[in-house]
Amino acid sequence: MRAAACLGSRYRGDDAVGPLVADRLRAAGAAVLDCDDEPTRLLDAWAGLDLVVIVDAVCSGAEVGTVHRVEAGDGPLPRDLGLASTHAFSIVDTLELGRAIGLAPRRVVVVGIEGAAFGMGDPLTPEVEAALGGVADSVLAELREGGG
Amino acid sequence: MSDEPRSSGTREIRTDYLARVEGEGAMLVRVRGDEVEEVQFKIFEPPRFFEALLRGRQFTEAPDITARICGICPIAYIASSCNAMEAVCGIELPEQVRLLRRLIYCGEWIESHVLHTAMLHAPDFLGYDGAVEMARDRRDIVEMALRLKKAGNEVMRVVGGREVHPVNLRVGGMYRAPTKAELATLVPELEWARAASLAFTRFVASFDFPDFEQDYAFVALRQPGEYAIERGRLATSTGLDIAVSEYEQHFTETHVERSNALHSTLAGVGNYLVGPLARYALNRAELSPLAQELAAEVGLGEVCRNPFRSIVVRAVETVYAADEALRLIAQYEPPDPPGIEAIPRAGTGHGCTEAPRGICWHRYEIDGEGTILDAKIVPPTSQNQKTIEEDLVGVVRQSLHLPDDELAHRCEQTIRNYDPCISCATHFLKLEIERT
Repeated sequence: MRAAACLGSRYRGDDAVGPLVADRLRAAGAAVLDCDDEPTRLLDAWAGLDLVVIVDAVCSGAEVGTVHRVEAGDGPLPRDLGLASTHAFSIVDTLELGRAIGLAPRRVVVVGIEGAAFGMGDPLTPEVEAALGGVADSVLAELREGGG
Repeated sequence: MSDEPRSSGTREIRTDYLARVEGEGAMLVRVRGDEVEEVQFKIFEPPRFFEALLRGRQFTEAPDITARICGICPIAYIASSCNAMEAVCGIELPEQVRLLRRLIYCGEWIESHVLHTAMLHAPDFLGYDGAVEMARDRRDIVEMALRLKKAGNEVMRVVGGREVHPVNLRVGGMYRAPTKAELATLVPELEWARAASLAFTRFVASFDFPDFEQDYAFVALRQPGEYAIERGRLATSTGLDIAVSEYEQHFTETHVERSNALHSTLAGVGNYLVGPLARYALNRAELSPLAQELAAEVGLGEVCRNPFRSIVVRAVETVYAADEALRLIAQYEPPDPPGIEAIPRAGTGHGCTEAPRGICWHRYEIDGEGTILDAKIVPPTSQNQKTIEEDLVGVVRQSLHLPDDELAHRCEQTIRNYDPCISCATHFLKLEIERT
């Protein structure tokens, strides 16, 4: 089975991109794992899945609206991407933890959308809004590949 | 972390973010010789955005909207806003409805306390960078913590309808009361949780704690006959005992020039402390016999003033929450109806409950149609902010002999003692130590 895990806060500017992508994926009938802002809630849900696509706002210094795609492989997720959601326990650590105790998906892809504004009540920046549809389509295609 | 010379005689240390604390913030420690010149700590942005968002909305929407402030403790916001709206509407919850609210709150305490104690705080004392490193050697701790978290989560799911942002709670009670059989499914895992958290308390109590105490002014809810969680009056260790509605007559928030932060102070006292140490100091005698015996066994005494030992108090409270949840399930009779219809009337209502991190206080003014005219929310972390700064001054003064990286770690640990809930605010914490 394949699923997406979309992180972020709807109220915090570009951090809303994860939940907004989740809305589109759900509307298209894709499986989306819900953890709100607490990624360790994903551990049981994603253990053993064939593929999990993590969608999150990132803050790496690249041009706003840039879409990063990282195949996690067997190594840790890159910390310099600055996965930006507000988590007690980061998604990077959650994946590492899951691997350490056997609660990880078989394959993980991170789709990060470079954000610029993360203040409470900030609107989505136009570049991120413009990237939204393309990100949702590509994630959906990835989830459907192989019939998952 | 980088450790680079800034100018002759001055060193500056930065970390990109404070690991294992939610969100973002900034901290600056300035040391001249053996003197701590300044500590600035900014982690909490007051929830003004949500207060503004609430204005013009219906009073019945407040629980759902404020629940979004924090993914870790939505029940605290739901319960405090419900209490406030019920106060305006003149609703007194039927006993079994109130106890359902208390039960789901126990679930939140278990989940939140375990996330903090086992996954975020324990690695500090065991010499690991974090839970990931700890998991490689001590898989047993992580597995136990995840199972405990799940037990708390299950309570939220069964009572609240969903484990993330429960949807079954409303002003006036519940939409639907769970059946006795549904609650009974929680019992085996809660019994395991009670035993596991008991063993975990003994384990964390054996840690080596820095020798550090502060003379705190404690503030917590107090309710005769129970360890106050979802209701009570406000009590302080300085002798104050007031209704929740009188909060603003005694507590003030002052805007801090250097940041968006507000510092809360208690009139005639100054900064104060909310959360597990305060609850324990003021309400220890209301803990269940099991939790009281455990607290005595692990040497907590009547009052614990060492913030590093807050991990032990949280662990005891986890035992209590499991114990209390089991008691509530055993006595449960499904209320019919599951709630009282809330009819709005013009006025102002106040609500306060014990979030895992301390009192979460709300005030709302509504009109006769139920439209929210004004909202004010004071979360626990903003109240502790000034006290955290004072702890940092004391800890840095005591730890000046440490090299910068160890001092920085000790500062981070000092902040983590408070389980600061700043997802509501921020993303990364920059830590800066200047020595001249």
